[in-house]
Amino acid sequence: MNIYFGLQTATQQFADVNLWLLMPELIVASAGVLVMLVDAFTKRLDQRWLTGGISLIGLVAAAVSCVWLWTSWTGPTEAFFGMIVLDRLRLSFTLVFLVVSALSVLLSMIWVEWERLPAGEFHALLLFATAGMMLMASGGDLVMIFLGLELLSISTYVMAGFRRTDVRSNEASMKYFILGSFSSAFLLYGTALVYGATAMANGTPGTTNIREIAQRLDTALYPPLLFAGAAMLLIGFGFKVATAPFHVWTPDVYEGAPTPVTAFMAAGPKAAGFASFMRVFLFGFPFVVAAGTAQRLHSAWIAVLVVLAVITMTVGNTAAILQSNVKRMLAYSSIAHAGYVLVGLVAAGAASDLGQRNEAIAAVVFYLLVYSIMTLGAFAVVTILARSGDRRTEIEDYNGIGFDSPWLAFAFSVSLLSLLGVPLTAGFMGKVMVFSAALDQGYVGLVVVAVLNTVVSAYYYLRLIVVMFFRERSGAWNAPLVPASMAIALALTVVGIFYLGIFPGRVIEVFQASPSVISRLLGT
Amino acid sequence: MVPLSWYLALSAVLFTIGAAGVIIKRNAIAMFMCIELMLNATNITFVAFSSFFRDVTGQLFVFIVMTVAAAEAAVGLGIIIAIFRNRLSLDVDDASVLKY
Repeated sequence: MNIYFGLQTATQQFADVNLWLLMPELIVASAGVLVMLVDAFTKRLDQRWLTGGISLIGLVAAAVSCVWLWTSWTGPTEAFFGMIVLDRLRLSFTLVFLVVSALSVLLSMIWVEWERLPAGEFHALLLFATAGMMLMASGGDLVMIFLGLELLSISTYVMAGFRRTDVRSNEASMKYFILGSFSSAFLLYGTALVYGATAMANGTPGTTNIREIAQRLDTALYPPLLFAGAAMLLIGFGFKVATAPFHVWTPDVYEGAPTPVTAFMAAGPKAAGFASFMRVFLFGFPFVVAAGTAQRLHSAWIAVLVVLAVITMTVGNTAAILQSNVKRMLAYSSIAHAGYVLVGLVAAGAASDLGQRNEAIAAVVFYLLVYSIMTLGAFAVVTILARSGDRRTEIEDYNGIGFDSPWLAFAFSVSLLSLLGVPLTAGFMGKVMVFSAALDQGYVGLVVVAVLNTVVSAYYYLRLIVVMFFRERSGAWNAPLVPASMAIALALTVVGIFYLGIFPGRVIEVFQASPSVISRLLGT
Repeated sequence: MVPLSWYLALSAVLFTIGAAGVIIKRNAIAMFMCIELMLNATNITFVAFSSFFRDVTGQLFVFIVMTVAAAEAAVGLGIIIAIFRNRLSLDVDDASVLKY
């Protein structure tokens, strides 16, 4: 329903307000505001415990309300005239974002003190970015997705440049800002074109509501504009999730930004980008049997994504081999992982059967959860070893630390092995799920390329482990102290990697399940 | 009445100029202005469709875009000032610490 119509019928229904459906987002945003107030009214001294604690409480409360919505909500599944929707895609992604954000808070709690940065500002920005990510997953309208994206992006631009006096941080922030806004402009232009193209011959104006777009594809007044709009949207999302031709900003930004921020950026915004990507393309331009505009559009974007997936995986993995900086290497690895996720997205898009599509979506969400946990684990170790000012991030800095700091080296190795996809780790299960979803849809060639890429990636992941354990250290090495919050974060990631790798069934079942099944699983 | 296609062509041309500018220009402020041009080209598309189909949704969207662009400008100029303080140059070719 468009807003004009809503205004005309104002006497019957003023606005479709339902704050319960927005509960998780509201909690996170209010926690962000609270952190800002605490920051303004307390002394700098012990602020980080206070603001970090409030952030964690807010995130946990949001997770509780999210589970509550999932299990016991019986009301409408749309609010604000379709701007906010409630479905599995949203709720499972929201949980992923909350996990990412909570781990990032734990990572940054001591780091802000090392760097002498204002803790309150950092945590407030982190929470606002999280609220933006959650809106990107819950938006049922292109307007809402754009707003969520901007909330996320603007917060992360500032976070990337948080070490204001460091030239590298400045540079990363500027590059991220320029290319981020560039891609937002593409996304916006795509939205505008789709809005115009979905107008109908009888004079009905266009729409930005994703469900309505899907219904109107075949009656679209201007099919060429629709294709152009979809292409623009694809470019915009491609930039955000760092797929291959649009990935050039990623290594620079990930290397220059402070390491805990890089950890957040590699996990959160990428997952959020995929949430909107799936929402728009799977639900807005879905699979249809009948030949027509909708069918041509669907096969076109699937074909493009197959090509993008192949390029992304190959570029990411081959470039990662050449890197000498660990952060830069992990940046290319994150590009490669975006390629693997695209394989799952193609599978979800090509699925003609609703059950198979839901399975593929659950596989993608599971992969992103796993990817976020292992990336955050790897960057946590990089943060600890780099010390203040990100001084030690070259691969030589990792020479022979394995036996001097066994726990750190162990946690790092587990994360790297999981990124590679060794059995028993979560990364393996994620890859199996995504690749088997693609195989179900008959993309044998794509899966072969993906598996070959995994083999190539073994080189650079294993190289780091070899460097840590089997290389002599040239200079003296005093093992860094691991602060409590970091130790908790590392323990959580290692446990998470093994839990999801050995018992993935339950989480996958939750991601696929309808609300009644989840109630049964939780025993309520 | 000016036909709809003219507005769309205008906005497409402006968007292309903006996109080309971001790629060609080497000054951070100029690149930023090109991005604003791209956003405003998009606004023209919205307003044109909105007025052509007598629907307010598109015009409301333009207000949202303008607000977002203002927020982005505030943050962007802050970032540009921070980088200028540290290196006294806005040429993006000088910003090359982060290369392999």
